Amino acid sequence: MILHTLCTTPGRDAFDNCLAILSPDDAVLLLGDGVYAGIKKTEAFERLQATGASIHILREDALAAGLMERLGPILVIDMEGFVSLTERYPRQLGWY
Amino acid sequence: MIYSLLVLSSPASGHGARTAAAFARCLLSRGHQLNRVFFLDAGTEAGSSVAVMPQDEADRLRPWIDLSEQHGVELVLCISSALKRGMLDENGARRHEKTGPTAHPAFIVSGLGQLHDAAANSDRLITFGG
Amino acid sequence: MKDRKTLLVIVRQSPYGSSLARASLDTALAAAALEQPVSLLFMGDGVLQLLPDQHSEAIGVKNIGRLLGSLPLYDIESVYIDAGAAARYQLDTQDLVLTVKPVDPAAMRRLINDCDNVIGF
Repeated sequence: MILHTLCTTPGRDAFDNCLAILSPDDAVLLLGDGVYAGIKKTEAFERLQATGASIHILREDALAAGLMERLGPILVIDMEGFVSLTERYPRQLGWY
Repeated sequence: MIYSLLVLSSPASGHGARTAAAFARCLLSRGHQLNRVFFLDAGTEAGSSVAVMPQDEADRLRPWIDLSEQHGVELVLCISSALKRGMLDENGARRHEKTGPTAHPAFIVSGLGQLHDAAANSDRLITFGG
Repeated sequence: MKDRKTLLVIVRQSPYGSSLARASLDTALAAAALEQPVSLLFMGDGVLQLLPDQHSEAIGVKNIGRLLGSLPLYDIESVYIDAGAAARYQLDTQDLVLTVKPVDPAAMRRLINDCDNVIGF
């Protein structure tokens, strides 16, 4: 059970590296530049959904990027939600 | 729970340092403890007392100082990274004959052992970068 | 004897393009020096750190390949390499600066889940 924090755009290899090892037991938090993987109908978002992991996005970064009306079905959380995720998942892995 | 944080990216670039500071404040408000924040590689730039940030943007240094002064959180800059980036404490400035110190006194300049000690004694180690 | 937490360090940078490459190795070495059980996983572009015949003196920086070659002296438990990335870069995993265990994504997942702490660079 791993919390993956995806911090770069899907164009960077961190995205592929992360997705290769994601399992349905894991959670993904899109934050920083990682929020762009949450854009609906993109190949990146569909690949993310296909992993079966539970996907979250950090509100302040999605807002900054102008994505609030463009997101696929994804749980938007704030910083409290981020802390709460780290309470539940014993390991966190950052991807940047 | 007891947390330690590892910060890899600079406050002058990207999201990691900013997010780490906000995360730190939030975990404390949820009643957790924050053992130590370890700054490595470009992350050590968070400790600069001489960087001048734009006036119309959020303060990058103050959140860390507040964590240190109000909550007793230990802020550690990795010495090898800090030296390369010009983050010197008083000893470092004297030893290397540089104008200094350039590291804010709220930060301690020390070795990677502090990171591993923090990880060994925490329930959660959270890494911030990018 | 106090139970020591195991650490997995994941390295994803090429050796000389980012200071994070050196920072990741220093982190692993420091853990080993403190007698903490530590394993290394070279993933993605990180596999390039293991290329033999690095002549970093040509660019005036410390030789990462040579540093890695001396890892067995530092009590690093195990060193793993992303088999897929190695193949993409035409690396022979038997002919690197170090003896490494090739792993696939499922094995990488197991490595991460088996350790107490993981740091990804």
